Amino acid sequence: MVPWVKRLSALASSVLLFAFVLYGYSGIALVVGTLNLLWIVNERWARRSYSFLRSWILVLNTAFAAYGIWSGGPPLLALFLAGSSLLAWNGGLFLERWSDPPVAVQYLYLRRIGILLALGLSAGVSALALQGSFRLPFFAALLVLLASGMLWLRLISKAIRRSDSG
Amino acid sequence: MNMTWSWLLVTSLCSILILAGLLFGNGALLALAVPYLLFSLIPFWRNLKEPILAIERSVEPSSVQGGQPCRMTVFIENRGDDLEEVFLADALPPGLKAEESFAYHGGLRCGQSKTLVGVLRGVRGKYEFSGFKLLQHDLLGMCQREAFVSAPATLAVLPALERVERLRISPRRTRIYTGSIRSRESGAGVEFFGTRPYVSGDPMRHLNWKAGARWDLLITNLFEQERVADVGIVLDARKAVEVRANGESLFEHSVRAAASLADYFLSQGNRVGLLIYGRMMEWTFPGYGQAQRARVLVSLAKAELGEHAVFSELEHLPTCLFPSESQIVLVSPLLRRDVPMLRYLRAVGYRVLVISPDWIAFEKSLLPPGTFTDLAERIARMEREALFSKLRRAHVNVVEWDVTTPLHVSMKQGIAGGKRWFLG
Repeated sequence: MVPWVKRLSALASSVLLFAFVLYGYSGIALVVGTLNLLWIVNERWARRSYSFLRSWILVLNTAFAAYGIWSGGPPLLALFLAGSSLLAWNGGLFLERWSDPPVAVQYLYLRRIGILLALGLSAGVSALALQGSFRLPFFAALLVLLASGMLWLRLISKAIRRSDSG
Repeated sequence: MNMTWSWLLVTSLCSILILAGLLFGNGALLALAVPYLLFSLIPFWRNLKEPILAIERSVEPSSVQGGQPCRMTVFIENRGDDLEEVFLADALPPGLKAEESFAYHGGLRCGQSKTLVGVLRGVRGKYEFSGFKLLQHDLLGMCQREAFVSAPATLAVLPALERVERLRISPRRTRIYTGSIRSRESGAGVEFFGTRPYVSGDPMRHLNWKAGARWDLLITNLFEQERVADVGIVLDARKAVEVRANGESLFEHSVRAAASLADYFLSQGNRVGLLIYGRMMEWTFPGYGQAQRARVLVSLAKAELGEHAVFSELEHLPTCLFPSESQIVLVSPLLRRDVPMLRYLRAVGYRVLVISPDWIAFEKSLLPPGTFTDLAERIARMEREALFSKLRRAHVNVVEWDVTTPLHVSMKQGIAGGKRWFLG
């Protein structure tokens, strides 16, 4: 399950990078997108070079997303690129430690990273919407913000409860 | 708890994005930093609790002969909070090999236990198991905690034993218990010792009728008492006598010989002590029986080569450790400078038997065949023969042992040569 999530998120990163071509970032976007694709294709490489590549791809994708925003590119696309890159990178990290993870552990991992990314992306999206970076009705942006805020508060209170009981 | 390199990477990216956003006054860059920020906050949100694990290790049997397998069982129980991901690895002491991996990776719920079972094999030595290295991760790999869980155990891989046959020694002094060594005193025994005139109370079946007929008086046969004796085995562990060839050590053969002789003498009921003479003196106090056999073999399992300025010569051999006029068995490839000490031992009344592993044949396998090698071998042999000849003249009994042949074969060759040590 996690291997496929990792592959799909890496593929999503490539697709998002290729989508940047539509906004006039042909050269760099194509190179970084192709590197993402190569990472999926060659995931059976030696583990050390693979983990080295994984970190470099995250750095490249983040740098490209930041560059895209700085140069006036689509911020939503950049935010989702960052999210998918983080998911693919962390999935690779998980699979490096767990060669054959039990299903229960995979579910737990996916739930945890899912919550984290949902929270991060929704907070980011609402922030962008409130800044007027893209057209989202104010109430929708407020709803997303409130939802992410509630999720965040729930997680915080859960963590506090756990630390109190510990 | 430590942060991982992955956490450092995400946190660095997050910091750069926030700094860039603030620097350029770009809110979208700050929004981009939010997912990274959440990743870098994970260690503070999900704090790793200190693991409380109980690990029990058992090794059965706790001592084995070299090359034989032993079974190790490791019982792991989590007595603390749930652990999502732990990696437990046992660092086996060098020299031991496990057929299965003694490592565990996975989760451990509170009260959950795991049992790891495997087979160990090893070369001669005494191995102390310390414990397990524990590495605890959070599932996202942002933080980790390292710990050490103690799980002590000991395994002694004893030296392999060789068969030793009919090795008879004759120290001047024996002990009072009945054994198999001629005591040079008349009494109950099976070996003929002499005759004397009959005295009242002598058993009739001991009368020597032929001698009586010749001397025209009653003559009684005397028999030699057979008793146990003190045997001191000295293993030469000086680095100077070591030869290594093709990854094999001559010292290992010396250890094997010492172990076989100790086993033999103890099985004959003798009192055996062991001195390992090398970096320091390791003395196993003399004793009898199976318990002493175990002590001697464990001591030999631990034996290592060593170097010390004081013990570089055999002359510091502490004779006070060995009972006077007892039997000393030295297992050593021998150096030329060892002769005076062996002569001295003989002069003060000890019976000395030297088992000398043949280092020339052992080392020859290292050298390329050719005229020079043959010549070098001949010269070395002549020197060694001269050394042996000096020792034999001093009534020190020497057995040269080609380690490619079993020890008892060399002993038999000694018998064929009519060596005094065997004849007693």
